[in-house]
Amino acid sequence: MAALTGNDFDAIKAKVQGGAKNWIKVGMSTCGIAAGAGKTYRVLEDELSKQGHPVSLLTCGCLGMCYAEPLVEVCIEGLPRVVYCRVSEECAREIVRGHVMGRKLLQDYILAMHYEEAFS
Amino acid sequence: MEAVSLERAESIVAKWKNKKGNLIMILHDVQDAFGYIPEHVARRISRLLDIPLARIYEVLTFYHYFKLNQPGKYKIAVCMGTACYLKGSPEILEELKTILHVEEGATTSDGLFYIECVRCLGCCGLAPVMAVNGTIYGNLKKGDVVDIISRYSKEG
Amino acid sequence: MSEKTVLLQDTTAGSTTGTSDFFGVFKAALRESDLADNVRLVRVADMGVYNQGVVMTILPENITYANVEAHDIKRIIGVTLKHGNPVKDLLYQPKFRQMRLVLKNCGRLDPGSIDDYIAADGYRALLKAVEQKTPDEVIAELKASGLRGRGGGGYSTGLKWQFTREAAGELKYVICNADEGDPGAYMDRSVLEGNPHSVIEGMLLAGYAIGSSQGFFYIRAEYPLAIERVQKALDQARERGLLGNHILGSDFSMDIEIRLGAGAFVCGEETALIASIEGKRGTPVPRPPYPSVRGLWGMPTCINNVETLANVAPILLHGADWFAGIGTQTSKGTKVFALTGKVRNSGLVEVPMGTTLREIVFDIGGGIASGRAFKAVQTGGPSGGVIPEKYLDTPVDYDNLQKLGSIMGSGGMIVMDECDCMVDIAKFYIKFCVDESCGKCAPCRIGGYQILNILEGITQGRGTLQDLDRLILIARAMKMGSLCGLGQTAANPVISTLAYFEDEYREHIVNRRCPARKCRALLEFNIIRHLCKKCGLCARACPEKAITGDREHGYSIDTEKCIHCGVCFDVCKFSAVERI
Repeated sequence: MAALTGNDFDAIKAKVQGGAKNWIKVGMSTCGIAAGAGKTYRVLEDELSKQGHPVSLLTCGCLGMCYAEPLVEVCIEGLPRVVYCRVSEECAREIVRGHVMGRKLLQDYILAMHYEEAFS
Repeated sequence: MEAVSLERAESIVAKWKNKKGNLIMILHDVQDAFGYIPEHVARRISRLLDIPLARIYEVLTFYHYFKLNQPGKYKIAVCMGTACYLKGSPEILEELKTILHVEEGATTSDGLFYIECVRCLGCCGLAPVMAVNGTIYGNLKKGDVVDIISRYSKEG
Repeated sequence: MSEKTVLLQDTTAGSTTGTSDFFGVFKAALRESDLADNVRLVRVADMGVYNQGVVMTILPENITYANVEAHDIKRIIGVTLKHGNPVKDLLYQPKFRQMRLVLKNCGRLDPGSIDDYIAADGYRALLKAVEQKTPDEVIAELKASGLRGRGGGGYSTGLKWQFTREAAGELKYVICNADEGDPGAYMDRSVLEGNPHSVIEGMLLAGYAIGSSQGFFYIRAEYPLAIERVQKALDQARERGLLGNHILGSDFSMDIEIRLGAGAFVCGEETALIASIEGKRGTPVPRPPYPSVRGLWGMPTCINNVETLANVAPILLHGADWFAGIGTQTSKGTKVFALTGKVRNSGLVEVPMGTTLREIVFDIGGGIASGRAFKAVQTGGPSGGVIPEKYLDTPVDYDNLQKLGSIMGSGGMIVMDECDCMVDIAKFYIKFCVDESCGKCAPCRIGGYQILNILEGITQGRGTLQDLDRLILIARAMKMGSLCGLGQTAANPVISTLAYFEDEYREHIVNRRCPARKCRALLEFNIIRHLCKKCGLCARACPEKAITGDREHGYSIDTEKCIHCGVCFDVCKFSAVERI
């Protein structure tokens, strides 16, 4: 891959931001994995392929809310972006069936986060 | 067997040969490969790097991470970080010792389980935690220990 | 009208309103107003707002109401859901919030993708530096920002860089201290796993500023995932020319390698860490000379902690003034704390310096998990101290914590409740330091061991009041006489627990009682007759056969035979065994 120059930054940003509109992110840090995020990820992967919905399944680091792991963030166009906590196998299937396919937010699994970014 | 491990050790040393301060990294790689630092390997490293064996043992015995004896097949690490301690990891350790009839830092007679206490596994949110060969079990209660152990002993 | 979402934290079960199903009532009201199809009503698992009754957030307006009662529903529907206006008297403004600077992109980005990081304005600070700023300007910016080391010492990062730049040496080194040794702190792991590039960028900026061409990550071997992700990030950066020669087309060249720690707390001390990277035993040497003058292989070396380095790029990108605008007079920016222990929401929190302990523990952490009484919060790990309830309103910064006899340390914050014994806690920490002492200097090696013995005696019921004076004496000697930070601060947990909880020590010594019911040797066990169901479980479990009786007449404990193991207490399903 060619060495990066100052001109490439904007292009990369545009490419990433123009990426998938529908995505599911699973927090995969040590604490998340310990709480079962690996299983959650596999279940999501399996259920998504069964349903055949074009959603990007992504991984990310830790949001810092260890008490609520595994955490899964879901962004589906036209629905509010939400974070689900303590995502069990059952909940993971429901995320795909209910949220992605059924376009309904799941009851009792959303974790609201109260913090502001120090800059945007 | 010994010849194989020496060959492996030699390739590890070769990988690090030209780096300054390589001893600890070599020992890490050796432990990754064998699970501990066998004496004959330490002797070979001493010769290859041209440093006294005492220098190697000085380092090995200083750092908790390095093991001089072969640990059991399943390494159980009980977290003794502050959060885990407060939430009952001493009881988890006691339970393990009772079930396996072995002290910390030792291996069961069948060679299956090795118990050690570690500083912090970095999963304080799930305290108390223990790890078996790197797989972490969190929010433990005393009663969970038997189940986890039996899962591994069944596999043998 | 457009679609709306109502996120509801329904805490009505057993509340004063008499409504036990707020969710159902709200749902019915929506149906009555013909809004059932336009409004998504969602019960959340956790709203992050505590002791405020029913809390709800309405999207997309992002209006939050607290202490909502059933009779407010009509107004909320009429004003907010139909017209998008707020109901002013119900509005809830969180008094403060977490502010995420270091953790901003942790949990947002794919740590395995350098493009993700670049798209989030990553490496732009580096670009700005190599294209527009001289190394001296970078250092000046850092100094002006007021950034202080996040690893424990709290030394000015800008000054450290300046000294390393000014020191003479043909080679200079940058080291990232990721040997997070404080048991109970894990923010560094989280940053390395969640956003490794932010630390790499910080190291590159440090390298550019001090004139270094080689950096080292010194990472705990106990963090395999962090090591894997950092290695991958380094490989990607190298592939993109962000490591190596002529970075971003400039004259600046630098590479970074990983070195692993091997489980020695003392290696958090700079000179010991350097010895360890050199492949030796991690024993400290007296300072000065400081590593900034003579460090790794005798060369000027700049050592910064993970969190410190993660702060660098944002500072250079957004300016020193912006950063200096956050925090208190002497402590700028934010601090990440690992909030753990008996708190309801264990996790990482990042707050501006100057946030009070109460806000962190109760408003963000949600208070004590079990509903028991709060007792103390411990900061700074084995080098820190405990802070009792009466100081909870202290704004957290380097200087305030020091005044309270604790330290900021790396940011471990362990919450303790009434079941935690302060003597036991002091013993836990001193045991840690005894195990971790490198043994080089006598005050630390011998002093720690003596303190441990005295504390052991107190928890076993062998303490005397003279022990308290002895503890202070030894603690002072360790503080004055030890060679490095580990020994100098090792007795801090003892000094601070003794300062704030002397009564508890005296109770152990004089009355042979442990008020927290933790020190088993001091506990007496007794079977409460009227609660006992005579099942006999305790008698079967007792290893000493100290429990006698039968299923007809009930059971009792022979205190002579009892070894205070507590098995009977643990096994009783009817809470019929008491500890006195």
